[in-house]
Amino acid sequence: MPQASSISVLVVDDQLTMRALIRNALQQIGFKDIREAPDGEEALKNLLAKPANLVISDFNMPKMDGLALLRAVRSHPPIRQTAFVMLTGRADRELVQRAVQFGVNNYCVKPFTVQGLREKIEQVFGQLT
Amino acid sequence: MTHISPNDDLERATKVHVTQGESHVSTDPNVVMTTVLGSCIAACIRDPQAGVGGMNHFLLPDAGDGRGGDAVRYGAYAMELLINDLLKRGARRERLEAKIFGGAKLFDGLSDVGASNSAFAERFLRDEGIPIVSSSTGGVSARRVEFWPTSGRVRQRLVAVDNAPQDVRRPVPPPMPAASSGDVDLF
Repeated sequence: MPQASSISVLVVDDQLTMRALIRNALQQIGFKDIREAPDGEEALKNLLAKPANLVISDFNMPKMDGLALLRAVRSHPPIRQTAFVMLTGRADRELVQRAVQFGVNNYCVKPFTVQGLREKIEQVFGQLT
Repeated sequence: MTHISPNDDLERATKVHVTQGESHVSTDPNVVMTTVLGSCIAACIRDPQAGVGGMNHFLLPDAGDGRGGDAVRYGAYAMELLINDLLKRGARRERLEAKIFGGAKLFDGLSDVGASNSAFAERFLRDEGIPIVSSSTGGVSARRVEFWPTSGRVRQRLVAVDNAPQDVRRPVPPPMPAASSGDVDLF
């Protein structure tokens, strides 16, 4: 079983409040190595400079949205294996379908609970300790 | 005396009622958004330059310290929905300005959910760098709020608790039109 503390995470959201809430939830699950980026463009630069094991990304963001970030990650060989969880709103079924086509590992519907986020991550990595 | 342009005339406006859990955005100067608030909060946010504005209406059962918890995640999501819709309709984040209403304490003896909701909204907007240009929160009366999304004008009537709709006294959607005490404040 993987340890949450050994998995590095990049949280991507244009809202500071949402990044703080996601970080808080990840810390409750046991994650320790957590970085943040305010949009897809910054996230891609961040990942290329220092890869992460997991990206948790919002969809609606300026400059580069979550779907464009996903496509960019999957097209850069050094980081194409990065696990990618997309955060979506309730009405974004079409977005989820497109994200699946582009290789998203899972998605989490806002507003999420800590347990809900944990389950989504565990569906990708297996049960976390 | 406040000048009321034809577009601000409530009788001629297209009314959009925003109930708890909803969010609406418009670029139409003839639209007026209305809501009735008890301990709930309505954030009215607009980009004056783009001429787009919107209103949400939410209630967090327990906003706690505002740093975590499911309720706060719900509140942040409610704000995010409104902001994202504004950005989709041409608003720029750096030009957004907000007015917030609600957060009343309608009954003694109950925990002050309204105050924690107001604190959440103020903290969220501060953290996101969205200035609060005016607000009317707290107190012991329900509020009927009308918001013109393109001009940013807001009209508020305080509503005595006894005259407030049942779902405002015990917030469960959908709200009903409120009886007014006749007090009007312009923001």
